[in-house]
Amino acid sequence: MNILTIPLRNIRRRPSKTLLLLLVFSLGVMSIVALYQVSLVVGHSLEKKLTTFGANMIISPATEKLSVSYGGFHMGDMLVDVQSLPEERTIAAIRSIELKDRISAVAPKLVTMTKVNDTAVALVGVRWHDERGIKSYWAVRGEFPSAPDQILVGSKASAKLGLALDDKTIIVGQDFTVSGILHETGGDDDTVILMNIDTLQALLDRQDATSFIEVAALCSGCPIEDIVAQIRQQLPNAEVKALQNVVNQRMASVQFVQKLALSISLVILVTAASMVALSMLSAVNERKKDIGILRSLGYGKSQIFIIFCLEAGFVGVLSGVVGYLGGFGASFKALEFLSLSDGVSPVFSVTHLLLACAVFGFITIVAAVYPAWKGAGVEPSTALIAL
Amino acid sequence: MLCAKNITKKFASNGSVVPVLKEVSVDIAEGEFVSIVGRSGSGKTTLLNILSTLVRADDGELYYQNNNLSTLSESHLNRLRQADFSVIFQFHHLLPYFTVLENTLLPFMRSLRSVNKEAVQKAHQCLDRVGLADKADRLPGNLSGGEQQRVAIARALVKSSKVLFADEPTGSLDKATGKQIMGLLSELHEEGLTVVMVTHEPAYAQLAERIVTIEDGLISSPADRHFFL
Repeated sequence: MNILTIPLRNIRRRPSKTLLLLLVFSLGVMSIVALYQVSLVVGHSLEKKLTTFGANMIISPATEKLSVSYGGFHMGDMLVDVQSLPEERTIAAIRSIELKDRISAVAPKLVTMTKVNDTAVALVGVRWHDERGIKSYWAVRGEFPSAPDQILVGSKASAKLGLALDDKTIIVGQDFTVSGILHETGGDDDTVILMNIDTLQALLDRQDATSFIEVAALCSGCPIEDIVAQIRQQLPNAEVKALQNVVNQRMASVQFVQKLALSISLVILVTAASMVALSMLSAVNERKKDIGILRSLGYGKSQIFIIFCLEAGFVGVLSGVVGYLGGFGASFKALEFLSLSDGVSPVFSVTHLLLACAVFGFITIVAAVYPAWKGAGVEPSTALIAL
Repeated sequence: MLCAKNITKKFASNGSVVPVLKEVSVDIAEGEFVSIVGRSGSGKTTLLNILSTLVRADDGELYYQNNNLSTLSESHLNRLRQADFSVIFQFHHLLPYFTVLENTLLPFMRSLRSVNKEAVQKAHQCLDRVGLADKADRLPGNLSGGEQQRVAIARALVKSSKVLFADEPTGSLDKATGKQIMGLLSELHEEGLTVVMVTHEPAYAQLAERIVTIEDGLISSPADRHFFL
């Protein structure tokens, strides 16, 4: 028996009131937890979907630019020591970083210039599966190449080179068939010919070579700078660049979902905390007699304050447990109902459960501060009138 | 031991200020049994509340063991109520959701430290002393009025108070039970406890060594025990 016995006994004394308060606050906690879990999953799923709209990191060989001029005549810039990246080793290095779980797609490319039908054009070797993973917006007339001797031609390149669907053409001395024409993307892909990277490497006799590698990383769990730093550590001779505008755009979309959830949670929290405050205020008015008895026994204002705060705190902690478990379960149902999970589901965490208990216990104590302060301020004489 | 000097207390009522006590002085010696008597509204309960430090006087001074309580902080007065002073009331003096034993132990539940075994043992002794040893686990709602009052007395005894203030302790009891309670208070006084009691029962007032009569907020006379005869 100690001071905790008094609030605990009070909670037991008014079971219906306590249950109602617990129910209201638990529902609030449940909504907040469910919203949080749903926003996490939706954010993750949204970001995953966004990665299919392009990479947000580029890894290229380290180069040095040299401005060439002679006698005051500027002859332009040239890249010194242009090398290629070894495909297999570079991809293995990227996939081995500590934050490898955040790497969503890795798309290597080999780029070269050639002439087709006497017109200069860029040839890009890609891995179709990886490339389509980061370019879900690609739309093709015809089909994506499925054989090594098939090519995909950008819309502008097709017009410029006079290549139509199923046309045959010779590239670097080898026959190729146009299996598909890319619809206009508004990007660089419109002006190039795309083919299987293995075929291009063989044609150029540059086995395992890549010009650069595009990486799509998920940034909601960690800053892109951390991923960049870890890749740089693995590939000291490569240049690793984050496409900040792409990253920021995506994070803005993900954060919008999370901010929306946070705003709704705050409204729920304030409403639930107000209910606790109102309930505690009425408890103070109902229990002036008890306050009078305790004050006559030498209980100080601080002890009366603590009793009411603890009472609210108990409700908060209990609501934290009930609400967290309920919210966790509800988040599955919500994701199922909204068809949003996309293979990702909320993860139960004991740390989060304990944190929820601590946070909601603290919030109810804060909500009870004013009522408790009012209760503590009741003079024994005023309380005695109630007797 | 306890000395009130020129105590004045006013209460606001319907927009006007009503003086309840007008420069009242009273001196209570250690081990004395004093009854405060007077008509309803004469100010006797207010005087008891001021003497027991539950209410502060508007004017005047209150001394306990030569310390001026009028100038002491709230926390000092709390400490005094924790240790030296005990108050029993006419009604509702127990927490209904605590057992008899727990109500007796309430003075020891002020902190996170659990009530120690010695205190529990003493509480049982005190309940035994007031004849409630077998009802320690009952809730107050299952006790008679007299038994509830005895629990309040046990609670006063458990903290070894030096002064027991009783506000109409028999007011809500039948005659026989009232007699039992008064017998208990007399016993405690004989054992050395200072008792200050407000009553309007002449027979019970006469059990005190001294009777203080209050009339319209003034001590009319330090009446002797034959006042009511």
